[in-house]
Amino acid sequence: MAQLRQDYPQFVARDIEVVVVGPEDARAFAAYWQKESLPFIGLPDPTHSVLKLYGQEVSLFKLGRMPAQVLIDKAGVARFVHYGHSMSDIPKNEGILALGDEINA
Amino acid sequence: MSRVSLNQTAPDFSLPDFSGNTASLSDFLGRKNVLLVFSRTFA
Repeated sequence: MAQLRQDYPQFVARDIEVVVVGPEDARAFAAYWQKESLPFIGLPDPTHSVLKLYGQEVSLFKLGRMPAQVLIDKAGVARFVHYGHSMSDIPKNEGILALGDEINA
Repeated sequence: MSRVSLNQTAPDFSLPDFSGNTASLSDFLGRKNVLLVFSRTFA
């Protein structure tokens, strides 16, 4: 999340809005957003409705949700889809930003 | 559990943010690209 915050201006420059969806409730989201001074949109999903809609995986062995990222263009089409296979399997922002350049070209 | 496929339309959704304002994916249609990030727990 810190890397997303650091690179946020580069996402904004490419007309990319960052939207974070997580299983915590609104109170936990608000506390985390304030603590970390996060500039992007945070959507609590305690009923897991969107997490299920998008197929975020849960690892029973690793006791947590696997990270996932989807880049959606202005027409609503998924242009990049990444489902992590481990807690640390998160794509680099550089690749997503480069794709943003392609989408906007 | 469903998954989103590359180059397919992403399913729309609406959720209230932590301030109570509802955000929908369709709000951004025609205006902005969206990087949707599914986080792990904050803990």
